[in-house]
Amino acid sequence: MSLKTFAGGLHPPDSKAYSEHKAIEICPLPDELVIPAAQHIGAPAEICVSVGDLVKKGQVIAKPKGFVSVPIHASTSGEVIAVEPRLHPMGRPLPSVVIKADGEDQWDESLEQNNPENLDAEALKKILWNAGIVGMGGATFPAHVKLSPPPEKKIDTLILNGVECEPYLTADHRLMLEESERIIDGINILRKILSIDTAVVGIEANKPDAIEKLTAECAPHNITVMALEVKYPQGAEKQLIDAVTGRQVPSGGLPMDCGVVVQNVGTAAAISDAVRLGHPLVERIATVTGPGIKEPKNLKITIGTPLSHLVEFCGGLEGEPGKIIMGGPMMGQTQLSLEVPAIRGTSGLLIFRKGDFSTKPAGPCIRCGRCISVCPIHLQPTTIATYARLDMVDEAENYHALDCIECGSCTYICPATLPLVQSIRHIKGGIMAKRRKS
Amino acid sequence: MKALRNVLDKIHPLFSKGGRFERFYPLYEAADSFVYTPGEITKGTTHVRDAIDLKRVMITVVIALLPCFFMAMWNTGYQANAAMQLTGGSVEGWRGTLLGLLGYSANPDSFVDNMLLGAAWFIPIYLVTNIVGGLWEALFSIVRGHEINEGFLVTGSLFPLICPPTLPLWQVALGISFGVVLGKEIFGGTGKNFLNPALTGRAFLFFAYPAQISGGTSVWVAADGLTGATALSAAAEGGVKALTTMHSWFDAFLGVIPGSMGETSTLACLFGAAILVFTGIGSWRIMLSGLLGAVSLSALFLLVDSSTNPMFALGPLWHLVIGGFAFGLVFMATDPVSGAMTEEGQWVYGALIGLMCILIRVVNPAFPEGMMLAILFGNVFAPLIDQLVLKYHIKRRLRHVEG
Repeated sequence: MSLKTFAGGLHPPDSKAYSEHKAIEICPLPDELVIPAAQHIGAPAEICVSVGDLVKKGQVIAKPKGFVSVPIHASTSGEVIAVEPRLHPMGRPLPSVVIKADGEDQWDESLEQNNPENLDAEALKKILWNAGIVGMGGATFPAHVKLSPPPEKKIDTLILNGVECEPYLTADHRLMLEESERIIDGINILRKILSIDTAVVGIEANKPDAIEKLTAECAPHNITVMALEVKYPQGAEKQLIDAVTGRQVPSGGLPMDCGVVVQNVGTAAAISDAVRLGHPLVERIATVTGPGIKEPKNLKITIGTPLSHLVEFCGGLEGEPGKIIMGGPMMGQTQLSLEVPAIRGTSGLLIFRKGDFSTKPAGPCIRCGRCISVCPIHLQPTTIATYARLDMVDEAENYHALDCIECGSCTYICPATLPLVQSIRHIKGGIMAKRRKS
Repeated sequence: MKALRNVLDKIHPLFSKGGRFERFYPLYEAADSFVYTPGEITKGTTHVRDAIDLKRVMITVVIALLPCFFMAMWNTGYQANAAMQLTGGSVEGWRGTLLGLLGYSANPDSFVDNMLLGAAWFIPIYLVTNIVGGLWEALFSIVRGHEINEGFLVTGSLFPLICPPTLPLWQVALGISFGVVLGKEIFGGTGKNFLNPALTGRAFLFFAYPAQISGGTSVWVAADGLTGATALSAAAEGGVKALTTMHSWFDAFLGVIPGSMGETSTLACLFGAAILVFTGIGSWRIMLSGLLGAVSLSALFLLVDSSTNPMFALGPLWHLVIGGFAFGLVFMATDPVSGAMTEEGQWVYGALIGLMCILIRVVNPAFPEGMMLAILFGNVFAPLIDQLVLKYHIKRRLRHVEG
């Protein structure tokens, strides 16, 4: 049987061998945790603790501002020693709570354990909101918002994203192998919230062990597991929907427009913890990898742990670091320093040595069309990028720049090594600014 | 090699910022990166990249052109030697003196003699093209302060191949100047032109000096006082009958017929096409759809037939092997800069060129050759085609909401 997929895309070397066979290890707590108030898409939370406060693990330290926002929790017990702007993975200092760990790692006693059988959809969504559940694939969109489609949008399919198409990253892979029961429990809760039966787990065919295990375990729950072609960006939401259902999200639309909700497998696992154990989102699985790391590992990390602590636990740096990337090599963000904390969207830490990455200066576009044939949205990246460089906002908008999912396939393939996705991201900002003005 | 690297490193300070020859950095850079891969590190996101780069793209095209280069020399020599054997003429001027020194004996059966005479006609045109065109490239990159681009390597190889052997060298210089400056540089240089520069240069000569580039029958064979009509003009005059009395189809396929130097051999173009398609550098979609467009329209003309226009009866098989069709389709229509970029657009663009080429050849009495104009015509429409493809994709997604 041929594997399902979408049109476009490419095959970067997956480089997962560094860590794919390494079992998840628990990274010990650092002395100090830096927990930013902005860890999700939407309004940053409002910090509600002050210096000197004693906090328990799971206690709310920042309250959501509006519906598209989630609370932030203390990820261990200890004392708040600073509330100030600290360097954030986004590249600038943002308001953060610094907690000195007391080493007890004590949960807040007020957290309630629940049986999902006894709760209705609204109550479950409330629990997810209070637990600060966001999309764990990296986009960190609040889960309760995704699960609250307007009544006119009929949802009929839940898709679980276990694709993990970013090269190097293996966190979801290990999670599916080692903690599948949490994922399945989370899927059942999600189905209850959406009151639908159809649930499909999409996994790239390069993880046969995970496919085999989940297929066996999902069968009794009437959950389908679908092996998908190994192709980047198979794990992007719209491409995953296309591969699994054959439906396409319209320009400017959302998955709900074609009756689908997509959640990451990591999110499903976090949802199970939030409901059954009452645990808010204070830890996650992340891959620490790359040629610049002595012993690449898959780690269970506490939110707020400085990257330097993760590196230390993985045997330290190998060679001279050239680039520190949070996330994968295609969409990850370059970091200014290892003192930046790991946050809810941190799926991995990737370190390249000097000289491990591209060394070619950008040349002129020869309109070879490679970026177009790999673009999973069928846009014309080079045309939009040209308009972006000239700051021609209307023209870029006319070429549907806002539909770009920023997967970076165009930049990867460009023989002129042009920074295509970067230019498009820039002009997207310009288009949004223009729309706000008018 | 090591010594050259040392020299380059030694003179680097002179050309870098503040150095004495700072203005000429593009020249230094071109020499340096032609021999070595530059060693600067890029900044920014999407942290991994594919291995293909512009230099490799351009050099692959030049390699794909090698069979055509070979035919340009051998066939030019062969045609002239064969003609001189019939008329008893001889090679005159500096060519005669030079070839005499090399032991040339004007024997059309001798491979060496054919190559020598062909080279004596082809190489001057090639050199003038690259020196004059290269000077313009260098001038523009120095003034603009950017690097000399590998793109000229391709233009500089294509242009001489589409010239007739007897084209005066000053016209070669004028043609390539027009092509490089007005066809490319005034739009911003490599990648910004909407027409193929080599074809723009040739089109300029075609309209400005028709006598030397297409006029009469005297320009195609490099021997004095001789006439050798191209296959196309023969067909336009006397139809298939006139054509078959001059050449066999197989001669035309191999390229042993008079014509522009590099474009007579369909076989050589097929080798080039194989290289371009295999490496993914040239679009197979453009080549295939161009072929289909030309075959279908010429077959239609064959069916309709006409008592007054002998070209109707030529048929697809002949159309494919004569004139610049194969060369244009493989090397010119697939020029990415001036062609369509989208996959669907490439189908339309290629078909448009194939159709236009046959249309011009058959129903336009003014121009026997249609490929050059068809491609330039396609170039103009390429951006429009791409825009329509984008709109089509956006609409199609709307239709696929239901799966």
